[in-house]
Amino acid sequence: MENIMMPEPHRILKIIKETKAEFTFRVQCDAETRHGQFFQLSIPKVGEAPISVSGKGEDFVEFTIRKVGKLTDGIFGLRPGDMLFMRGPYGNAFPVERFENKDLVVITGGTGMAPVKTLLNHFYDHPEICKSVYHIAGFKDIDCVLFNEEREKFKGRFQTICTLDNSEADGYERGMVTEHIRKIPFESFEDYNVVIVGPPVMMHFAAKECMANGVDEAKIWVSFERKMSCAVGKCGHCKINETYVCLEGPVFNYTKAKELFD
Amino acid sequence: MDVKSEVLTMMTGRENLYNLLCRIYKKEVDQKLLDNMKDMVFPTDGMNPELTEGYRLLQEYFETTGENAEEDLAVDFAKVFLSAGASQGMAAFPYESVYTSRKRIILQEAWEQVSNIYATKGLALEDVPPDFMEDHIACELEYMAYLCREAKQTRNLLKNLQDQQEFLEQHLLKWGPSFCEDVYNYSDTVFYKAVAKITSGFLKLDQEILDSLRESAENILESRRSCFVSNDRMDAVFEQLKEKYVIYAPKRFKGGGMKHANLIRYAKIESIREIEMDEQSDFSPKEAYYPVSQTMLYFTEEEVLESAVKDERDILVFARPCDINGMNRLDTIFLNNGGKEDLYYKRLRKKVKIAMLECLTGWEDCFCVSMGTNKTNNYSLAVRFEEDGLLVEIKDKDLASYFLEEEDREFTPEFIAENEKKVRIPEITNRETLRKASELKFWEQFDERCIGCGGCNTVCGTCSCFDTVDIIYKEGSQEGERKRVWSSCMLENFTETAGGSRARKTNGANMRFKVLHKFYDYHARFGGEEQMCVGCGRCDMRCPQDISFYDTVNGLCDELDKMKEDTAKEVRE
Repeated sequence: MENIMMPEPHRILKIIKETKAEFTFRVQCDAETRHGQFFQLSIPKVGEAPISVSGKGEDFVEFTIRKVGKLTDGIFGLRPGDMLFMRGPYGNAFPVERFENKDLVVITGGTGMAPVKTLLNHFYDHPEICKSVYHIAGFKDIDCVLFNEEREKFKGRFQTICTLDNSEADGYERGMVTEHIRKIPFESFEDYNVVIVGPPVMMHFAAKECMANGVDEAKIWVSFERKMSCAVGKCGHCKINETYVCLEGPVFNYTKAKELFD
Repeated sequence: MDVKSEVLTMMTGRENLYNLLCRIYKKEVDQKLLDNMKDMVFPTDGMNPELTEGYRLLQEYFETTGENAEEDLAVDFAKVFLSAGASQGMAAFPYESVYTSRKRIILQEAWEQVSNIYATKGLALEDVPPDFMEDHIACELEYMAYLCREAKQTRNLLKNLQDQQEFLEQHLLKWGPSFCEDVYNYSDTVFYKAVAKITSGFLKLDQEILDSLRESAENILESRRSCFVSNDRMDAVFEQLKEKYVIYAPKRFKGGGMKHANLIRYAKIESIREIEMDEQSDFSPKEAYYPVSQTMLYFTEEEVLESAVKDERDILVFARPCDINGMNRLDTIFLNNGGKEDLYYKRLRKKVKIAMLECLTGWEDCFCVSMGTNKTNNYSLAVRFEEDGLLVEIKDKDLASYFLEEEDREFTPEFIAENEKKVRIPEITNRETLRKASELKFWEQFDERCIGCGGCNTVCGTCSCFDTVDIIYKEGSQEGERKRVWSSCMLENFTETAGGSRARKTNGANMRFKVLHKFYDYHARFGGEEQMCVGCGRCDMRCPQDISFYDTVNGLCDELDKMKEDTAKEVRE
């Protein structure tokens, strides 16, 4: 009988320090993943947690993990060469085909940039299949800023705004992402989509602000972060109303997402 | 139906003949045996031509035999079976291995197979000649005699008949007939020629006998049956059942209870008298197939290994209709949701057979009738407890074989038709109402009243949520195991993510989540007629804060009514 809960060992190739608290684990894996999907990672001494794919190459996937709370602590004891147990990928993905040949606005809050990074890279690598990409990346402060290298690279082809919630630093705007949404020339777009990923409150207000700027809610896509012990519709943790985020999500169109409430 | 006496007669006759043949092949016949055989009356017509011929030859032998019978037969025995004297290989070596192996030698595959079969029954060779081996013709015949004896005592006749058929077809009949042909050809005495014909004919006839015995046993077992079983007899049935089933039933434990002095929960039982019928069990039967804690896998630094189920036996659960319906809710989550089956659930659940406890009065907190869960036909056995025993309805072929000797008595289980408590199903027909129902101030009363202990989820027969927990055997090592333990949506960290954020932050929000899951979400997701709740009332009984789930659901309905009225009023104004 197939065991859908069985993880497999994957070798850790590299651990990249992003910030004081965030590390990216590069893991050997050739599974086909779509933008926005996640894996169940076995966190030593703890159990399993869903972690989004933040980067991928031909034979590896990357996970960016924040060293907070007891849940993820155990993973920071691992070194390159060690095995990480995982299973996946799980969940749906951003509907990339629907984004093609249109304008795309991506608004991220903090580690919310991780689940959309492969999507951004996809359009960076294929500028011929999209009109324009706007990226608003918000971080709490300069110490929390993630993915510097890639954000620098994106500046070459995307319109980017990087903003710090409540502090100032050279090369960064100040203020919440919501405060910068009005800078997006939505009215000049013929057709477009908006991707919003971050903490629940940030997604809520960013979506509201987009709509206040004339964005139709059907153009908005969000991704939910939920606790999951199984990722296959059994453990019950990620359920919202009759929806299981692991099965029908984590990516939702806002017309559906707005109806899900805890 | 008198399968019992039919079986008894047939088995005794067959046992005797198998024993007699066994004796003849085991060693040289003596005068006593010959005298006995002379007095036996053998049927001479019908049945099987070889058998008829064999009996005729035997009769002929006894009519013509002279003074030196015993000695002549001993010489012939040595020549035919032991290849003594002038046989020059023209012998019938009485071992299955010789007849079924390519090189025609002893101690081959067949010997191994039959040795294993005897071992599973706890049988071993005893008091036999030195050249004896397990696949000796006498041994195999004696084993058939043993099975005939077992058939007269067993409560699982079907299994016994199957064992007999298998052994006969896969062993004795595979080589017996050609061995007998050799005996017939190489023997000098009419006696052994007769024995050869009788053996060969009987083995072939016996295959037909077993076929028809099994057919009549199956016919009886296939039809629904009901009977009366005294408590003592039921315990004897349990004794037999225990070989194949672990039996779970509500059992009273001294101390450990919350509102009651004693705790009643599902546990393994040995006797029918252990089943607690006077009070409702505090816990549901789900722990019989969905344990509170179970090991999913073992891991080292480099590998993972799936856990195994240790007890090979199936599971017989005594449960009331509400709980049987509750199983179906767990099945939906673990076997259907997400389109894939959960192995840990499935591997235990598929072992479960249900013995339904008839429930005519329910308990003070029950509202099964409102939930439509007061009835079920999903059971293998149904039982009604009487003064000195039980009425049992049997719908399962395998279980029926344990009740063959019990006295027939008409019994069709009945179901409770009305509870004192009646719950209304909240009428939520669109997203708008769902949102309004969720935002009601009504839920805030539970922020303080509920203490988030999760007791309600623990006693619930339909709560399926779990956590996975990794345990490391030694500090600093990576070796350990992953366990799955029941979780509860009423616990404050149920939705807490790695980053520490929680989707629902108050006990009131958790209460709302639970109520709407049991009375809206499940139904909205899976359709059909069912709500998730089966109305057993255990959560009400368990709550240390006396929060009634039943009152909460009816309270929600009142709130929804009020909302409707207000909207109507607004429209009028």
